[in-house]
Amino acid sequence: MTGLLSLSRAPVRFAIGLAAPVLLLLWWQWQATAHISTFAPPGAVGQAAAALIRDGTLLNDMLATLGRAFGGLFIGAPLGVATGVAMGIWRPLDRLLGPLLHGLRQVPMIGWLPLIGLWFGVGEGTELIVVSMSAFFPAMLNSHAGVAQVERRYEEVGRIYGFGTVQRIRFILLPAAMPLVLTGLTQSLAFAWIATIGTEILTGAGSGLGVTMQLAQTQQRLDIMLVTIAATALLGFVINHLFLRLRRRLLRWQPSSL
Amino acid sequence: MSADTRPARPGQDHPGQNHPGKERGALSIAGLNKSFVIGGRPRRVLEDINLTVRPGEFVSIVGASGCGKSTLLRLIVGLDADYAGDVRLDGQRISTTSLDRGIVFQDHRLFPWMTLEQNIELALLNTDTPKERRAQIVADHIALVNLKGFEKAYPHQLSGGMAQRAAIARALVTEPKLLLLDEPLGALDALTRVHVQNEIQRIWMTQRSTMVMVTHDVEEALYLGDRVVVMSPNPGRIRRIVEVDLPHPRDRRSPLLHRLKDEILAELTSGAGQGEEEPTNLVHLPNREER
Repeated sequence: MTGLLSLSRAPVRFAIGLAAPVLLLLWWQWQATAHISTFAPPGAVGQAAAALIRDGTLLNDMLATLGRAFGGLFIGAPLGVATGVAMGIWRPLDRLLGPLLHGLRQVPMIGWLPLIGLWFGVGEGTELIVVSMSAFFPAMLNSHAGVAQVERRYEEVGRIYGFGTVQRIRFILLPAAMPLVLTGLTQSLAFAWIATIGTEILTGAGSGLGVTMQLAQTQQRLDIMLVTIAATALLGFVINHLFLRLRRRLLRWQPSSL
Repeated sequence: MSADTRPARPGQDHPGQNHPGKERGALSIAGLNKSFVIGGRPRRVLEDINLTVRPGEFVSIVGASGCGKSTLLRLIVGLDADYAGDVRLDGQRISTTSLDRGIVFQDHRLFPWMTLEQNIELALLNTDTPKERRAQIVADHIALVNLKGFEKAYPHQLSGGMAQRAAIARALVTEPKLLLLDEPLGALDALTRVHVQNEIQRIWMTQRSTMVMVTHDVEEALYLGDRVVVMSPNPGRIRRIVEVDLPHPRDRRSPLLHRLKDEILAELTSGAGQGEEEPTNLVHLPNREER
């Protein structure tokens, strides 16, 4: 009995997870038949999706958006981790940069867009800077906290075995801070994703899911907007899921699963 | 018990590496004083400590909490160099940590992000042990503390007693001249404790390095120690040093151990007019008071 239950647990969970989207879909179909002008019916959206997939636009957009998001993430997140760790290890740096960075992070990333756009022009460079900055702050803050809270008893073990600075960072500080560093990176990922779609909608340069969304709005193409929204949701979901799996693997030394 | 001979451990002979010092692990503490500043005022925690530990000797230190015994170990291991007086190992004044001195803390302090094997091998990081021999030495020490089969386990997967034995293996793997044990069994249950005590005795008998163990368990101190240093608090002083003239391995039922235990307990609970505020509601043990 219990064996059967536990066997079917994963599929059951999956089915429960599907219930809400299916209900949403049904409600949408009903709405769409009632108010034609503001709602595209699922069938029409399906056709739009098929067309966008066939002519390669959707794939192109997804790749462009992914490229921007990960480009920014790969610049901003490592810089954030490095800055946070350096500030956590070396107090004077924290005193020097801490107030500035904490002040700057109060500005929502989209708020930088006009200024940076003015400096660098509307284009890939500006988008990359904004996405990188979005990824930078969560990584920096969490890494800083992670290193700053490493327990002194572990540091003492390092002293007993004669660890130098590099050994101390590599074998004690970084692994001990890893749970918080990864929390920071999860947030960086989310922030980079949001910033990417946001800047794409606002700047509308090149291709990308946000660009197509914006274009579809000016053309009143509800079906295309909904396709791009669905693609954005799906991609974000998959990336986040993969990252959480990676995180679990990296933190397998922790007693409780996260 | 002459303990100057250090028999080579199986599989651990060091060809061509002869130790220059004649003496290995002679600890001498002379006129040691230590104060902490608490609430803006200096407070003396150790006062005029004098103690000499012979190479290969096992010395236990007992005392009520707050008698500075853990502070003493931190000074010996070199985690705190701010003291007056002299603490020397083989004639060299101790001012920082060194691979010559190992320590086992009450909390095992294994790194939770490393497996048992990795934790122990990390202790060899800054030794001149050749890289290709390290795995074997680590395996030998895991076997020494009876943890074979748990090499790949993370600390949270080990029981308290196992983790503490792993910590002992980590402390021993560098072959320190002096091993310090800071209430290593304090957090273990009674049964595990007896088990690990036996294990420490066995290890000490095979290794013959100098060991100094702090504990609040008088029975444990007597069972393991060649000598037992009894300390009194406020400020921490050596009150008495008890010779335990029994060969190892010892029998827990030995009448001598029980007699000494009663003596030391009576001394620890009597207070002996320290001028400090004495708690009036001490538990009175009728049998003890007749002595």
